[in-house]
Formats: sequence, C-alpha cells, structure tokens
Amino acid sequence: MTASTRNAKARPMTADPPPALTERLASINGVASVTFHNRGLWVDAPMLDVEAMADAMTALGIRLATITAIPQSVKGETTIIYHFIAESMIVSFRTQTRNGALASLAGRLRAAAWAEREIRDLFAVDFPGHPNLVPLLKPSGFANGMVREAMCGPAALANSPTSALRVK
Amino acid sequence: MAYTFPLGPYHPALEEPFKVNVQCKGEIIESATIEVGFSYRGIEMLAQQRNWIEVVTLIERVCGICSNTHASTFCMAAESIAGIEIPKRAATIRTIVAELERLHSHLLWAGIGAEDIGFHSLFMEVFNLRERVMDMLEAISGNRVNYGMNCIGGVLRDIADPLSHLPVLDAMEKTMTNVVIPVFTKNPTVLARTRNVGRLTREQAIEWAVVGPVARASGVDIDVRKDQPYLAYADLGFTSITRPEGDVLARVVVRALEMLESIRLVREALKSIPDGRLRATEGMPHVPAGEATMRTEAPRGEAFYYVASEGGNGPARVKIRTPSFVNIPAIQAMITGLPLADLSIVQASVDPCISCTDR
Repeated sequence: MTASTRNAKARPMTADPPPALTERLASINGVASVTFHNRGLWVDAPMLDVEAMADAMTALGIRLATITAIPQSVKGETTIIYHFIAESMIVSFRTQTRNGALASLAGRLRAAAWAEREIRDLFAVDFPGHPNLVPLLKPSGFANGMVREAMCGPAALANSPTSALRVK
Repeated sequence: MAYTFPLGPYHPALEEPFKVNVQCKGEIIESATIEVGFSYRGIEMLAQQRNWIEVVTLIERVCGICSNTHASTFCMAAESIAGIEIPKRAATIRTIVAELERLHSHLLWAGIGAEDIGFHSLFMEVFNLRERVMDMLEAISGNRVNYGMNCIGGVLRDIADPLSHLPVLDAMEKTMTNVVIPVFTKNPTVLARTRNVGRLTREQAIEWAVVGPVARASGVDIDVRKDQPYLAYADLGFTSITRPEGDVLARVVVRALEMLESIRLVREALKSIPDGRLRATEGMPHVPAGEATMRTEAPRGEAFYYVASEGGNGPARVKIRTPSFVNIPAIQAMITGLPLADLSIVQASVDPCISCTDR
C-alpha cells in the first residue's frame, strides 16, 4: 500500500492563487480579466482562443473537469464555461460561442470529448473539429438542443416549498 | 474471425443500463465504444424550475447510491454564493453521512465485483456487512437511500446519541480486516481474475482525466478531501490511499483500504461532534446573484457542481459533473487487448454509476 498522510490544515480551502498562475492565465490570447472569488479563479474572455487555453492548461498540468453551457436566448449565442482543476483550485474560463460554434478541444483534451457531445445534444452548440460528434444523451428522434428552449424560459417559482399532496 | 459483441444496455453484469460495444478478433478485444444516455432525466433543466428548498430534494435524486454527495455539494455551492458559513456541528454531521455513504457504496461495489467473478459466498459476506451500514444510515436519517439530511445552511437532523454507533463500527472494522480484505487480496480465485487485468497506466489515467479510486489505483494521488479540504476533513485529518499498479486488483485494494479510513473518520467524527446549532439559516434561504463552483470527493471520485443565482427563488443554472462521467470513457483504454471474458469485471472495476452520468 502507498498511503500519503497529509496535514489537511496546511491547505486551507480559501488559499489565494499563486501570482504566477494568474499572470499565465492573463497572457492567454483573448483573456480580458482574471479575478479570484468564491474560492476559484474566474477568467473572463469573450473572444477566448480556446485551443491556446487548452495548450496552456496542459503545459501547466491542470486538467479539464467539465464544460458548462448557458444559453443566452433560444436562437442566440451560448455562454460556455471551461472548468479546470489545479490541485487545490478551480479555474473557470468564461467565453461564448461564435455563430453557435466553438472549436472542439476533444483532440487536445480527452475530457472534452463527452462534454462537447452532451452540450451539442442539449443546447445545439457545434464543435467543429470534434472527431466523433455523435449524440451522447439524446434519444433518437430528438433534434439537437432538446432542452435549450426550456432552459431559456423565465422561471416562475413559489417562494416556499410546494407539494402536490398539500392542495388547499 | 472479427465480430462485434454488445454488453448492455441490459445485462446481468450491469447495475444500470449502459452499453459497451466491443470489436473482437477471436476471444481478444481489439477496440470498444461506449454508449450512455439510457437514463437521461433532464435534472439540470428541472433544477431551474424548483425553488431553493425544493431543488435540494431534486438534486439528491441524481443518484441512488451517492445521493448525499449531490445534495451536500449543491448546498455548499449555494452557501458559497450566499456567504453562509454552516455551524461546525452541521459540518461534522455532513461528514459522517458522507463517509457512511462511501462505506455502503464501496461495499455495494465489492459485492457486485464478487458476483461478477462468480464468487457468490463473498457477495453474501459483503452484502451482510453493507446492511450494517444501511441500518446505521437509517437510524441516523430515517432513510436508506435519499437521506434528506442536507439543507442550504446546514443539516435537517441531528445525531441524537453519537456514541451508540461506535460498537457497530468496531464490528464492521473487525469483519473488514479479518474477512473481506484478506479474501479480496489473497484468495487465488480473486487474484486470478483481478491481478494484471484491465490496466490503466498513470500516464493513461492523466490523459483520460479519471478521478477517485480509479485514478488513485493508477498512482495519481488526487482526493478533494486532501487537496481542498471541506466540511470537517481538515479537523479530522485524512490519509489518501494510492497504488501504482493500475489493474483491477489495485482498484479493489484502494477501495478496501478506503473503507477502513472511512470507518476511522466516522468514529472520530462521532466522538467529536461539537455542540451548537444545526443550521445557520431558517426558512427559505436567500441566495443573492452570483455563481460558484464546488467539488467534493464522492465515493467514485470528484463530484463537480457549478451553480448560478440571479437572486431569485431558485437557481438560474445548475451544472453537474459526476465522477462516472469522466471514469466510464476510460474503460475503452482498459479493455483493449484483453480476453472478452474479462470485460465484465473490468467495467465493474470502474464502479460506473449510470444514473449519475446521465442525470
């Protein structure tokens, strides 16, 4: 057995990011700003060069955790957030699609392959260059973007817990 | 002769529906493709239609095995946006439930692994042990699957008599140490089916970005409890378990030793539950506009949540990345070049959770 005992107290959950990491992130093509809040680094980059980002993170030894998609409107662009994990820090790059597409990272980062397929299924975002952009979650018979419209609609929520069993 | 063999989506070797299509030449697997999506429920979409109380109940149903992981990780993300610091008593109770959940999840895996290699008596022994954990979870929460312990701001239930659970932990540790671990690590039947089978090298583990016991069994020492301590882990201390071999046996050993560490964590936490409140907030929580990412160490590895709020009654976006979502694709790398007969135990060694993956 290999067991490594660490003093967890030595690594507080709210550790500040290393300045060198912040500077490297700021130097990636298309990055507008880098901020630290809610225990993570947030990189704002509307015109991010996603391939340069992937190469930079690979060089830093930082792995891709997942990709979040947030549709801005039913027919419009989609906000895309790439979440990377440094050992004790989450780094999130926020960008957006251009004409409904972003270059695929699947050829560079294996973890991007399924995430991009899922986003295409749910939100109809295209990822040109993906080696196998076939449906992941989408049942046959559904069009791409099967939840996009539903997730763009305004939420009408009760300001208290509701239950179908509690009919007045 | 080359042929294609479909394992799944419904097959006795699978806990839940997914499909591994393997292309074989004779008895040897040459390549594989994996299909998921048979249990898609649209939980991320439904989360936008629930308020901050209802959504915790929904999120807990992402998975029937690591249900508490999802509820607590979501609550921690919402608490991060709202700047809520939960009471230490609540953090310790969350830790206890999280480690009991890891215990029953690893025991579930061990039982299924035993069944997959035809070792029925070991399956019965393991599931008898697992039942003790389920009984403890039921005694604490009143439930055996969805415990309903978490709310934004803390926990909903106290542990009334913490020390009353210690004898059960002692008995479990004894059976684990004297029976389960020796059988899994020394029995010739088990070793013949697991040693040097389904290898994932350290380089491959990094390339495929696997997490949890799968990564640690390939020598990649990542564990959120160590890397970014949360809840009570910083106070309890933590030992991460790794193995360098990367085969099915290594995954067995990592999970087995992690169970002993979970028993230690639960025991220490039960002995040291601090006094204080269970919740930092009462009633409907107010989560202001903002966003947060959160990760915790689920039984299968790192669970990742992104939660956004626009200041309304419910979340504006909930993104869930479960550990199985990144571990399952790596099955392709593990099974290439193996006999078809090993496919069942190799896919099981990843402990794939399809309910989590599909959401």
